[in-house]
Amino acid sequence: MDREENYICRCEEVTEEEIRAAIRGGARSVQEIKRWTRSGMGICQGRTCRRLVERILAEELGLSPGEAEPSSFRPPVRPVSLDSMDGSKE
Amino acid sequence: MTIRADVTVLGAGVNGMSTAYELCKRGRSVVLVDKVVMGAGASGSCDDMILLQSKKPGILLEMAFRSLELFRDLEKELPCDIEFDTRGGTILIETPEELAVMEDFVASQNRHGLAVEIVDARRIRELHPHVTDRVIASTYSARDSQVNPMLLMKGFFLGATAKGLTFLRRSRPESLSPRNGRWEIKLSTGETLETGSVVNAAGAWANEICGLLGLEFPIAPRKGQVLVTEQLPPLGATNVWSAQYIVSKLRPAGVPAPGAAPWMSGPEEARKAADFGLGFAFTGTHSGNYLIGSTRENAGFDKTTVPEALGLLARQVIHYFPVMKDVHFIRTFAGLRPSTPDGMPVIGEVPGFPGFFMAAGHEGDGIALSPITGRVTADLVEGRKPEFSLESFRPERFLEGQGDLDEAASG
Ligand SMILES: Cc1cc2nc3c(=O)[nH]c(=O)nc-3n(C[C@H](O)[C@H](O)[C@H](O)COP(=O)(O)OP(=O)(O)OC[C@H]3O[C@@H](n4cnc5c(N)ncnc54)[C@H](O)[C@@H]3O)c2cc1C
Ligand code: FES
Repeated sequence: MDREENYICRCEEVTEEEIRAAIRGGARSVQEIKRWTRSGMGICQGRTCRRLVERILAEELGLSPGEAEPSSFRPPVRPVSLDSMDGSKE
Repeated sequence: MTIRADVTVLGAGVNGMSTAYELCKRGRSVVLVDKVVMGAGASGSCDDMILLQSKKPGILLEMAFRSLELFRDLEKELPCDIEFDTRGGTILIETPEELAVMEDFVASQNRHGLAVEIVDARRIRELHPHVTDRVIASTYSARDSQVNPMLLMKGFFLGATAKGLTFLRRSRPESLSPRNGRWEIKLSTGETLETGSVVNAAGAWANEICGLLGLEFPIAPRKGQVLVTEQLPPLGATNVWSAQYIVSKLRPAGVPAPGAAPWMSGPEEARKAADFGLGFAFTGTHSGNYLIGSTRENAGFDKTTVPEALGLLARQVIHYFPVMKDVHFIRTFAGLRPSTPDGMPVIGEVPGFPGFFMAAGHEGDGIALSPITGRVTADLVEGRKPEFSLESFRPERFLEGQGDLDEAASG
């Protein structure tokens, strides 16, 4: 497969190469990778890509997954319409 | 392990990173330390505006002007794109009373060199075709700008790293001790730093570090909650705020807060909105996600978002832009602005602690002011005269009555 086409984050179209480049540039946490590349900021909020990013991070740093990322993960919300937040209509 | 360098910067938010970048650029060796990772504080949980219009004429406006120039240089100089953009800004006006207050405000801004105009209902609809019919006028300032704080931090980091920055993550100082005119800093991760100066840029957490020296500043977290929408086509030309909030900020002491806004169900909800310090800021990012903010709450270090506040934000944006009712939000976040009682940051060397500098307390302007903060802080560290008088930011103003500082330092 063409490496350019190897999307890790499908929502934001971030490739494996871009994730690895961020780590080589100095990003050392999923949070930092997310802020630099937008991977995990898409509509699924990282449900699909977070694990993959953790794995690549661990691999690049030569650690076991979990070791690379001790910070906690906030469960994302599902997309909700703004209108449904209108408490006065309930 | 002992690391020797010229300067330790504590806190990797925009202000600490800007300071580290500037010092590295000037050839200093710098160690940057963050107890989490870069952007873990307010700088990773905020809006993206370089807002001139909200400022009363004075030193903060002067510094924002200067920062705007510096952003133009940084855009060229930093190794990555920072999504700097000058889209202009508008403050929506709904009532003749608001209009009267904003006309005075704008007149004084123009006298001080910030060009802002009041545009009529027709012109605001050209800029924002989706805005509610209730809006009767708006301000417009062509110079209000934006920058992506995440990419700004990345740029400072890459730029500083290329010039030798050492960055220690997930580490915090456990002690700070003056030693023969230098500072010895013991870190929770085991390293010892030995540097000539220390810069405290830990934002709302600045007192965690000051506490190690027996100091305390009235820097407190002021929480802001934000809704992030799915990606949308552009809804309008500029960033948007509402006058209601600015008018309530400007109102003279003794004048009661305005009553319920038209979209509120009644006084009960108006009280709730006031408790949350509800304001309106609406900005579209480069990626097409819109940020809908925000609140100003004194709620300690808690960063949870609460449905009540998010509900108010959602109803407020639907009021101003009815098309938003069919839009989805995908995420919420809250950030902690580092606030001070007089609305001014604390920038300067702390008397009695030679070589210990504060650069914290920028509340809602830290992104906008980060370039100039880095410059003047680097000047102070190097013993040079900064390009602005930092009189209003002096740490001393908050330290009266905190014992004999000279004695504390020698003890
Ligand atoms: C909702 C919201 C919207 C905003 N919108 C805007 C805007 O549009 N424009 C604008 O200019 N500003 C805006 N702001 C304000 C802006 O985000 C802040 O002023 C700015 O980010 C402060 O940056 P800082 O570097 O001073 O602090 P922070 O970004 O908070 O960084 C402090 C860092 O210090 C670290 N730290 C804490 N304690 C320690 C310790 N003991 N040891 C080591 N490190 C430590 C933290 O982990 C953190 O990374 C907004 C803020 C919020 C909350
Ligand atoms: S796949 Fe990355 S956010 Fe959805």
